[in-house]
Amino acid sequence: MSQALERQIKPIYDSLDTGSNKSAIVACNKLLKKYPKNELIKSLKALALVRSQKVEEALVLCDELLQAKPTDDPVLTALMHCLRGLGRHKDMVTMFEDAYKQQPANEELGIQTFFANVRAANWKSAQLIATKMHKQFQEDRYIFWNAISAVLQARDPATPPGMQTILFKLAHRLLESCTSPTYLIADRFYLHLFVLRELQLYDDAHKLLDSEIGTVICNTNLSCNEIRRDIWKRRGMVAEEGARGERRIIEQKDRNWLEFLAVLDATFEGPEKPTAESIEHAVHLFTSVAEIDGTKDRTGLLALLEVEKRARQSNLSTDPGRLPSLLRDYFGRIGGKACCFEDLKPYLAFEGNEKSEWASFLQGVATTADTISNLQRSINAHKILRFMLDPSQVTVESESTLLSTYVDLYLSALPLGADLPSTELQPADDFALLAGNTLVSLWKLTSDAKHLQNAAILLEFALGKSKHSFQSRLLLIRVYRLLGAPSLAVDYYRGLQVKQVQHDTLSHFLLSRASNFSLAASGDLTFSSECLESSQIYLSNTQETGDFIVRAFTSEKYSQIPEFIEFEDRLENSLQRDLVKIEHLRMRTTHEVITSDLIDMELIELKFIFDRTHHDNRDFDILANYQPHFSKSLNEQTLLFNLPAEGHGWLHVFMQVYIRALQQGSDLDDTVEEKLLIGDRPKQSPDPEKRGPLKERLKQVKEECLTELTPDEVLLVTYAKALADWLEPYHDHVRPPPAVVLAEAAKQTELKTGFALRGIEIPPLNGNGNGKKDEEAPAIADPPQEVVEFFAKIKARFEVVVDQPSLNDILQVATLAQEAFMLFVIETLRFKSPSVVKIHKLGALTNSFKPIRATALEVLKFISAGLTTRSEKEGSTEVRTAFIDGFSESLSNKDIDQEFVQGIAKKTTESRKKVLEGVGKGLLRVCSNYSTN
Amino acid sequence: MSVLRPFKAADMFKFNNVNLDIWTETYGIGFYLSYLARWPDLCCVQEAPSGRMMGYVLGKAEGTSHEWHGHVTALTVAPEYRRLGLARKMMNLLEMVSDESYKGFFVDLYVRCTNSLAISMYESFGYSVYRRVREYYGSLGIGKGGRDEEDAFDMRKPLSRDPNRRSVRLNGREMIVSAHDVP
Ligand SMILES: CC(C)(COP(=O)(O)OP(=O)(O)OC[C@H]1O[C@@H](n2cnc3c(N)ncnc32)[C@H](O)[C@@H]1OP(=O)(O)O)[C@@H](O)C(=O)NCCC(=O)NCCS
Repeated sequence: MSQALERQIKPIYDSLDTGSNKSAIVACNKLLKKYPKNELIKSLKALALVRSQKVEEALVLCDELLQAKPTDDPVLTALMHCLRGLGRHKDMVTMFEDAYKQQPANEELGIQTFFANVRAANWKSAQLIATKMHKQFQEDRYIFWNAISAVLQARDPATPPGMQTILFKLAHRLLESCTSPTYLIADRFYLHLFVLRELQLYDDAHKLLDSEIGTVICNTNLSCNEIRRDIWKRRGMVAEEGARGERRIIEQKDRNWLEFLAVLDATFEGPEKPTAESIEHAVHLFTSVAEIDGTKDRTGLLALLEVEKRARQSNLSTDPGRLPSLLRDYFGRIGGKACCFEDLKPYLAFEGNEKSEWASFLQGVATTADTISNLQRSINAHKILRFMLDPSQVTVESESTLLSTYVDLYLSALPLGADLPSTELQPADDFALLAGNTLVSLWKLTSDAKHLQNAAILLEFALGKSKHSFQSRLLLIRVYRLLGAPSLAVDYYRGLQVKQVQHDTLSHFLLSRASNFSLAASGDLTFSSECLESSQIYLSNTQETGDFIVRAFTSEKYSQIPEFIEFEDRLENSLQRDLVKIEHLRMRTTHEVITSDLIDMELIELKFIFDRTHHDNRDFDILANYQPHFSKSLNEQTLLFNLPAEGHGWLHVFMQVYIRALQQGSDLDDTVEEKLLIGDRPKQSPDPEKRGPLKERLKQVKEECLTELTPDEVLLVTYAKALADWLEPYHDHVRPPPAVVLAEAAKQTELKTGFALRGIEIPPLNGNGNGKKDEEAPAIADPPQEVVEFFAKIKARFEVVVDQPSLNDILQVATLAQEAFMLFVIETLRFKSPSVVKIHKLGALTNSFKPIRATALEVLKFISAGLTTRSEKEGSTEVRTAFIDGFSESLSNKDIDQEFVQGIAKKTTESRKKVLEGVGKGLLRVCSNYSTN
Repeated sequence: MSVLRPFKAADMFKFNNVNLDIWTETYGIGFYLSYLARWPDLCCVQEAPSGRMMGYVLGKAEGTSHEWHGHVTALTVAPEYRRLGLARKMMNLLEMVSDESYKGFFVDLYVRCTNSLAISMYESFGYSVYRRVREYYGSLGIGKGGRDEEDAFDMRKPLSRDPNRRSVRLNGREMIVSAHDVP
């Protein structure tokens, strides 16, 4: 390139870097006048076009450039970014492979080609390229790239089981062929051990590990040490591992619990049966550790407890008083630390006298909370006592007494933290959480929402004192959702400041079944936008994680590559991602006008996710659980509708409902979709269940999936299926043939962008331009009972729930009725066109829509009116007074300001009023939007 | 009692109980991956036997010639597991690896000048202030915490390759540099 040209191109790069795509395009066009054949300028223009969403124009340019099979590095780089932006990894692979073929001596091209395959997870091709590169450039690292690609191929779910061993053997051969020893680089060593372990060549692995350098690596590299531990175990070296652990504990004061477990396993699970002596030996070791460490480190003390627990399990415990005495000892030393309860949980399963003695010991500690340390002890004692309760001990009376105790202790201990800065957590917080747990338990025992309201008051109070207590916040979110006060749940969720990957693990707190609370129909997009915001992270994953996988290859961090790939996969195929997707769609349809564009777009997106193998990354453990050991956890107790959280089954059923409805409403069949698609298709799932024809699989609603739904949701699903079954033949008959659809799409694209659709040749049509098929229209069937009766049924449901205390049931019935109507709109959109009806003689069919629609509209209006009445009631002084009275009944003499209580009562009832009102208004809006046929 | 093990990419799904604390920032996934892609042995997790995460450290190795050193980028322990010696254990590991695997001359870290708790903790681990970096945490305007809120101390601890303690100095608190002058 001439220097002059170089100088002229630089500003284009600058524009691209700063996101000024428009000026980049202008600059490119200007330069292209002078250099009309220049590939680099063209490729930069293509990139700027991709980034400004001018896809059609960009595609034309990309195709032209790709056809010329470029080899120039800057051109390839620009095109690589283009193709990534378009989601066309396959084209990218081809582009680099073509370039590399032309210049086999160009190492950088080889590397790029390898990486293109890595990004597309083409492990087999990656191996071939690595082999070629090693031959050509004689660099050891290409052997390792080759070997890890074989490993990754073996781990790919699409690889048949028989192939795996062959691939690991291949990786093994490659590693053995390497001239430099693998131990020179820790991560090469790791890969070597990994492969040997897969092939069960434990002796070979041991030989490597047993060398001096092997030992050094394992001492300084936790990943290698992890795999070493595993190999020793598999090789039956439990005793050696125990001896190693013991040495490290004594000589290096290593306090990693894994070393203590090694000693414990050697004592109890080694080749020799445990004996009094061997147990004594372990006790001796741990006792001396405990003595040396004092209260600085609790590992020795806990190891003593673990010895006793295991000794009891193998009937070798000699002293029945030992466990209680160890527990008392532990509590005495560590009771002042927050972790004590969690530490002791595994050792609390004991009965009879021992139990009552231990309980009375704890009772003695529990009452004093005069210093921070005693407060922590008291908290621990109460947590343990509560955990150990038996079913007979959990009654309304006993829980009420406990509640009172916790609240008293909480309030009396608050002054201990009065001087802490507001950024610190209050030491008494856990008593508020214990009270919160108890109030939820009381609600479960009595079904009286008063207890939830009281939980809201108490936790609000606690949060006021301890502004950053995320535990109080999380529980409040749950409580407000149960109370039907979603706007407050939103406020507290936002206060958590959930960021980045946390959206995936935590958004369920807000967005689980969120369409229940959505006011999108009335124009309030709060929940829709939360859905979109929480989904950003998946885009980041798509855009960024691949770069780091490539980076891990460059830096030869073989231990990380499989982990990154797993991470990418778990996020890409996250269950929560697609649950949110469905919730968002349920909201979107109520807010936006249903058009064929919306139907087509949503259809393609949903079809792509239907066959994903989903991973559940949701964090449910985050909610601190202080319920008795036999009880359901706080998490389970505070989910909506007394059901487990929506899982794979729920998602599957709702995807079926929507894909079916959208597919019927859409003109895109598979051939059309294939042509119009820009990016790559998702890889086909190896799961045989996901192989059959989609249309058939959409119809098979599995019983076991339905158990994840509420009865009202099942009602909706049954209706949706009946509706789709009924209308399917007419849709199939009326849907224009692919050629017509494509011709129309081409026309539209050309009108919009000025560019023809690429790669589409429109076959001449057989005479009639409207695509009428030759066969007769299917006979018109009467609408099925499930469809005809649905709206009456849901109305009856509404009449049952409208006066019940739980708002969630009311909201659910109302929003499901609305959803049913929206599905009806989607399913019947095609038949709105009078010409379609006329040509295909479907007058009888559309006539049968009329009464259904009329009933639906009437029922929606009825529900809307009911919601309005109920919302007025929620806003009344009686309800608010009852809220306040509910608090004074249960927690009368507690020192919580009356005004504060009133404030919470006000905002909760207002939030409840608002959601009822809003859903009611939304229903009316939907009615008026779709009131004409 | 805690398990010391490598930080893995999938730990991002598990670190909520640590990261929901206000003192701990949650960065984009690229941040964690960029550390793991280069210095996985300087990133580790402390985990309770129940599998709950207790804390983690992320570090890197950087610098040239005599400035080659280990750096602590993030050290954090969940509130319920503080004062159990976990920070100390993770720092020990990071120092050991910086010393034995990377052969660094020292380990360093940045800490807000107002975070006196952390400063005295690092001092008890053998670190000392090497210099004060102006507006390391951005310019906040002189607010409640004043300069201390926006400035950082660069603290260092020499490793075995620096037996003469050339990488530290006594009057570090008075040595003031601007944020542009540090990596
Ligand atoms: C700072 C932090 C990492 C300490 O973790 P930790 O595991 O509790 O620390 P350790 O138990 O290992 O404490 C080591 C020593 O530090 C000192 N120390 C730690 N926390 C202290 C506190 N709250 N008050 C006084 N000294 C303290 C003590 O000297 C302690 O030794 P000792 O317990 O034997 O007396 C933790 O508090 C934290 O995550 N804070 C929020 C994030 C942060 O500020 N990170 C540091 C920014 S650079």
